[in-house]
Amino acid sequence: MRKDRTEMSEDDDRSPPLDLRGADIAESSNKTRNCSGVSGSGAPVPGPGPSSMEFQAPYPDQVLENVLENVLQFLSSRRDRNAASLVCRSWWRVEALTRSDLFIGNCYSVSPRRATARFTRVRSVSIKGRPRFADFNLMPPDWGAHFAPWVTAMASAYPWLEKVYLKRMSVTHDDLALLAESFPSFKELVLVCCDGFGTSGLAVIASKCRQLKVLDLIESEVTDDEVDWIACFPESGATCLESLIFDCVECPINFDALERLVARSPSLKKLRLNRFVSIGQLYRLMVRSPQLTHLGTGSFSASEGMAQGEQEPDFFTAFAACRSLVCLSGFREILPDYLPAMHPVCANLTSLNFSYAYINADQLKLVIFHCHKLQIFWVLDSICDEGLQAVASTCKDLRELRVFPFDAREDNEGPVSDVGLQAISEGCRKLQSILYFCQHMTNAAVIAMSRNCPDLEVFRLCIMGRHRPDRVTGEPMDEGFGAIVMNCKKLTRLAVSGLLTDRAFSYIGKYGKLVRTLSVAFAGDSDMGLKYVLEGCPRLQKLEIRDSPFGDAALRSGLHHYYNMRFLWMSSCRLSPQGCQEIARALPRLVVEVIRDDAIEHTDETVDILYMYRSLEGPRDDAPGFVTILQ
Amino acid sequence: MSSSSSPMQSTGRKLKLKSKDDETFEVEEAVAVKSQIFKYMVEDGVSNGPIPLPNVNGKTLARVLQWCQKHADPTITEDELNKYDAGFIDVDQAVLYDLLMAANYLNIEELLKLACMRVADMIKGKSPDEIRRTFNIKNDFTPEEEEEVRKENAWALGP
Repeated sequence: MRKDRTEMSEDDDRSPPLDLRGADIAESSNKTRNCSGVSGSGAPVPGPGPSSMEFQAPYPDQVLENVLENVLQFLSSRRDRNAASLVCRSWWRVEALTRSDLFIGNCYSVSPRRATARFTRVRSVSIKGRPRFADFNLMPPDWGAHFAPWVTAMASAYPWLEKVYLKRMSVTHDDLALLAESFPSFKELVLVCCDGFGTSGLAVIASKCRQLKVLDLIESEVTDDEVDWIACFPESGATCLESLIFDCVECPINFDALERLVARSPSLKKLRLNRFVSIGQLYRLMVRSPQLTHLGTGSFSASEGMAQGEQEPDFFTAFAACRSLVCLSGFREILPDYLPAMHPVCANLTSLNFSYAYINADQLKLVIFHCHKLQIFWVLDSICDEGLQAVASTCKDLRELRVFPFDAREDNEGPVSDVGLQAISEGCRKLQSILYFCQHMTNAAVIAMSRNCPDLEVFRLCIMGRHRPDRVTGEPMDEGFGAIVMNCKKLTRLAVSGLLTDRAFSYIGKYGKLVRTLSVAFAGDSDMGLKYVLEGCPRLQKLEIRDSPFGDAALRSGLHHYYNMRFLWMSSCRLSPQGCQEIARALPRLVVEVIRDDAIEHTDETVDILYMYRSLEGPRDDAPGFVTILQ
Repeated sequence: MSSSSSPMQSTGRKLKLKSKDDETFEVEEAVAVKSQIFKYMVEDGVSNGPIPLPNVNGKTLARVLQWCQKHADPTITEDELNKYDAGFIDVDQAVLYDLLMAANYLNIEELLKLACMRVADMIKGKSPDEIRRTFNIKNDFTPEEEEEVRKENAWALGP
């Protein structure tokens, strides 16, 4: 029997999968109890003999080393993994082996080569590219953030890649083709605010990624290559599809192919259609997929295709059949008459996106009075303050509210105002996140929200008129924003607007200790404003500023902090090339990009756009002609 | 002893085990085979004498066998099992290490997973230094190496 056990320990087939160094089976027959485990080596001496022998119990940290892979695979948060990787060399090595989700916050902060060299067993990759202000045409196109070098590196490094999430990246058809070809286990593609590809790229994904579960296109620009990509999904057998989101795709689709696709996708839970799907077509899809949890309704309007005298689809029944529906969006060209058909699902809805639906307060009330469980609500300001009051009276569980402008011109009277904000603050006490576009606001309403909604983490108020003061008092909006940073102890993200003096920024610097993201437009009096923020907010990671009177002296005041930030964006401010140069020289590992934008009226003395970020790699080699990297 | 092709049900046969501090235990085969080591032994045919386990002390072995017993019980529900496991693994670090070692050595997959998860819980939320102190680990990075990893983590991989 002893022989058996020895053989077992040497026989690879039989040995337990873990490294038993330090815990090898040792021989003993008598009372062998020499456990002197005080030396660090812990390597036992196997002795084939019945006589007493030494056995050294392994040191605690050696026990851990043996099982470290098993332990670390239970760490999922980035923070914990980063901490574990700094413990010691072996932990660094094992953490790198066990990290399966790779998150890159700025695609230029590290090279694909370096990332793939450290993490060799990645299954899921998330990469973010352009800065957010690029979404608002504040940056010339073709600035960069190319997916190509990443997908090329991953094609060889991560053959078992399953998931790719990209935000604000440029993705080409060739990139998608390489992706489809290189990863046989590929399951999820999520593209948010991306561009550079078209329906032919989608066709390649659809046809080649046989295990595709998720294809989500969110706010991305997709060119119409006149390719029927929906028809490219394999025609026979059930698909693995769980989520198909294409509401941003601005081209017609082959509805018959879509209907067949939905019919053979039994796992489909999320379906968001584009505006080229009519309400009649929507009905046909809903009837086939009552198991949906997330539905984007497409146009929610009749198309010319609907035949004369065709029977009215019974939407009430169709909605009633969708017992699992919790998230509704779409309504791109809404026919408000159909709204009451939604009633059966309202009571279960936790998320409702009406931000494309031009409806008034009365039309909203038909729906909202039933939505008691609503947590996320996006809406157009066409519902007016009255509509917001209806939301406030019903949606007691509301966590996130976004009110978008239908008409963003500055001279508009503005259908929502401080009245709506005040009502929301009184009715929705659990509010955590708000984005509110309006023409006029008062400090009183903002202060009320700061007091009524202590859980606020995100407060983004966009008073669309430039430099607009308090509607009632004529004063700057300093006190309102001051109250927000003072009273909302969990605040991490803030966007300010309206007439703001340096005082507002002194409040932010003094009280906004947890603020990580700050957005400033047309605000402040002098360099002091920016100084307050850069000197006062230790957690500041992302700072985007436009059209504000901050210059070189203010820029200089952040030197101590720029290595702690993801990025700084300043456009149409008062920076000079020399001022920016000074920063570049003082902080060699900061990439300081000065971007020329011909759309901006400029002189040679001021910088159009400054975009700077820390990087392990030095200046990028793909910068276009209008970008100068200072050194 | 015959190594009959018995399925791993209770045949009434027992295994004798001896811990490193000479405590002996008798355990039913069906319970013992939670350990892959014993499973192979049983498949191969076991000897008559007690199996010495010089790497596991009596106290720990008793705990482990208790766990195996519970997990071999066909009447217990999943809920009860989860509750039991939560209580079982809520022990101080020294005991946890003993369990970790024993589960590793005896190759008891589920118990090893339970113990590893608990250790992972002890890592969560801690700074590198706190982790080192918790587990008595020496920092063997050079200052330059450590700084470079810190930068890479913060600049490239941070939230």
